[in-house]
Amino acid sequence: MTTNEKLKIIIIQELNLEEITPEEIDDEAPLFGEGLGLDSLDAVELVVQIQKHFGVEIKDMEEGRLAFRSINTLGGFIEERRAA
Amino acid sequence: MSLQTPVAVSGIGCLCGAGSNLGACLDTLFHGRRQPAPPARFSSSHPTAYPVFEIPPEVSLFGTGQKPQLSRTARLVLTATREALGNSGWDRQWPHNKRIGVCIGTTVGSTMNDEGFYRKYRRGDQPCINPIETYLNSNPAQAIAREFDLSGPCQTVVNACSSGTDAIGLGAGWIRSGICDAVIAGGADELCRVTYDGFISLMITDDSPCKPFDATRKGLNLGEGAAILILESQATLRARNHPARAFVRGYGSACDAYHLTAPDPQGQGLRRAIAEALATSGQTPAAVAFVNAHGTGTRDNDRIESRVLSALLPDVPFFSTKGCTGHTLAAAGAIEAAFTVAFLEAQKIPPSAGFTDPDPDLPASPAKRTIGVSGQIAFSQSLAFGGNNAVIVFGKGDT
Amino acid sequence: MRIALRGVGVVGGFGCGVDDLRRTLIAGRCSPQTASVAGTEGAGEMPVFLADTSRLAAFIPNRALRRVDHFSRLAALGACLALEDARLPPTVRQALGLVIATGYGATRTTFSFLDTVLDHGDACASPTFFSNSVSNAAAAHVSILLKITGPSLTVSQFEMSVPAALLTACQWLEEKRVEGVLVGGVDEYCAVLGYSWQRFFGPGPTTGTRPLEWGRQSAIAGEGAAFFLLCRDEGDPPDYGFITDIRQGHLRHGGLDLAADALLLLGADGHQACARRYARHLPADARVATYTPLYGSLPVGPAFDMAVAALSIKAGRIFAPPPGAGENPGLKIVPRHARLDATPIRCLKFGREGEYAMVTLSGRGSI
Repeated sequence: MTTNEKLKIIIIQELNLEEITPEEIDDEAPLFGEGLGLDSLDAVELVVQIQKHFGVEIKDMEEGRLAFRSINTLGGFIEERRAA
Repeated sequence: MSLQTPVAVSGIGCLCGAGSNLGACLDTLFHGRRQPAPPARFSSSHPTAYPVFEIPPEVSLFGTGQKPQLSRTARLVLTATREALGNSGWDRQWPHNKRIGVCIGTTVGSTMNDEGFYRKYRRGDQPCINPIETYLNSNPAQAIAREFDLSGPCQTVVNACSSGTDAIGLGAGWIRSGICDAVIAGGADELCRVTYDGFISLMITDDSPCKPFDATRKGLNLGEGAAILILESQATLRARNHPARAFVRGYGSACDAYHLTAPDPQGQGLRRAIAEALATSGQTPAAVAFVNAHGTGTRDNDRIESRVLSALLPDVPFFSTKGCTGHTLAAAGAIEAAFTVAFLEAQKIPPSAGFTDPDPDLPASPAKRTIGVSGQIAFSQSLAFGGNNAVIVFGKGDT
Repeated sequence: MRIALRGVGVVGGFGCGVDDLRRTLIAGRCSPQTASVAGTEGAGEMPVFLADTSRLAAFIPNRALRRVDHFSRLAALGACLALEDARLPPTVRQALGLVIATGYGATRTTFSFLDTVLDHGDACASPTFFSNSVSNAAAAHVSILLKITGPSLTVSQFEMSVPAALLTACQWLEEKRVEGVLVGGVDEYCAVLGYSWQRFFGPGPTTGTRPLEWGRQSAIAGEGAAFFLLCRDEGDPPDYGFITDIRQGHLRHGGLDLAADALLLLGADGHQACARRYARHLPADARVATYTPLYGSLPVGPAFDMAVAALSIKAGRIFAPPPGAGENPGLKIVPRHARLDATPIRCLKFGREGEYAMVTLSGRGSI
């Protein structure tokens, strides 16, 4: 499973978005605001889930904001950190 | 009695990281001293040590060694009550013919989250239920009623971070409506790993001493403590010829109904709470000497408070005391009510600890040093998780 | 005091809504479900009155509930049902206050939060669980879902939570702070409660709750929510009558001052330790009833007692207590088909330390 695919499953399960399927999440679409419609509490929950599932730490929301733009940016961020 | 009848404050007790009684706290505030440190009473596996404002172990809390089945939160609130009753002159002759209520805010004090118990339970170790007994014995309002032998209305307010302010506002209402002659009102919360981890997980905790209203603020530091105000009807106070330190002159509260953890971006709830507080006090903004702001040091909270205050109470000086106490959650509103009364008495307000650089994004900033104030009334406000906003108004007392 | 009771919303082991509660009262019985607990000798089972919140979907879109836990769903459902029952137009909601009473709060989520810390370390503590475990989370969810922007309050002091909440709700109305108050009680069952329950009280009763048999420990745990819409005495007379008195006190300062022939709806729920207080302090000629065998024992039980009192006033008769409530020759138990005259119904509850509360409901005819 690719990092992006794994991310989509984590987002659906851990943020309780059961009414959508992983296929319905566009890799390029914004996660917050429009797009998936996530909010600030989802953002901090996602930080914890990424720590838990990938062992990657997001130190603050400055860093988070860049990574959280889309599934693609988040997947890229995680892979970059894990490679480092 | 009408909504505008002032209710007297006859005594105050307060303890927190800034000091073990009100006098010691004030000394710390006016000197801007602060020494938050990593928690000593519990450990954690966070890679960063987030500082907190703990009450040091040498402070003697109510019932230590004698009443094992009381939580730390209950001990804190009973310690503050003992000081407040002494200050009010009621410690010598408790009036059994009076109808005395208790109204206390808490968060941790009403939650069954004993970690040791739960750890054993999860392992299937059949833990002993003493922690449950302690929880059942330690409801703060009930603990005060029990220890000080009271049987009036009794209420534990769990409105998160505005609980202390709400408890004082509601308690004053009991006196105005005539169901009580006096009310022991305030708030208490102990530091524990649950709230510590919780606030860190929300990413609103600063890993250095907090900087309310500062351009570089990164979040709050947690604290612990308790404060009690003895509220009395003016008739009761006159009958025993005791002066009022201050009067509760107004109270307002409103809910954002916006988001579980984020405040309304326009501060709608806070605006309504301030408007109600002002209306119930029967005063105009010009009479307001100062505002003790919630000022936690988080980006959102401080921005909204600054904007709302500059719009509704322009030119009224404000400050945060959390730079010296940390955020004591449900105790905060009560501790800051105690401070507000003391600042009104002293006619001066302390420097807003942790504030150095004004944030260009904020229309108004607090004072950097002690300043003298004039005016008949002062506000203390609290913004809470869940969108609760509460504002209490104090007027000058008899002295 | 004369506060109009204009809407009732209930959810519990008996079902959902006032019609389900009325049907259960008439039938006079309700069977608990079975919950598994980590008992004192390995895994066991105990009877519990569990509540189903699936009807909430009729009021709130699913997406808006994604972060709302069972506890807050119970509260939201009770609140929606009370507003529906009161036929209150949505526009009036902004002028409402909200008061929620709970004995133990959102215990399931409180322990779920601890699970995240114990399983994966402090750095993996879940902010979503933390937020939902804070004591006023249910009030936050209800105010957001129903757009209630007036004052909001949550109170928590075990068995006395509901009377304390009602005191403040009525106070707000009398102060004219608000046009109406949505006030309710909510408590949930969780596995840790089940374990603690068995440690305190031993295995559950085999024959159902018999709350009027004072010497018997027969409580069955329950969960649910009971909400009310309260208004000032203005406009049409309310079907459910009025709250005319709320009294809180403690036996340490003397017993209750009650009329010899008072009509008492007892909050006795099968706990032996509290039962002896009812035994000692009831006037000899008091007519008594209890309905706890229909919803079980939970700290906010007094909200369910009050819901039954309200339904009695609306029906103009007192429901017969469930036959299983127990035999007690020393009591004047309300008979079947008793007409309710102008007598007020006093809902009496004793707490574990001797604290008590009495909420009085009066019909239109009574003063």
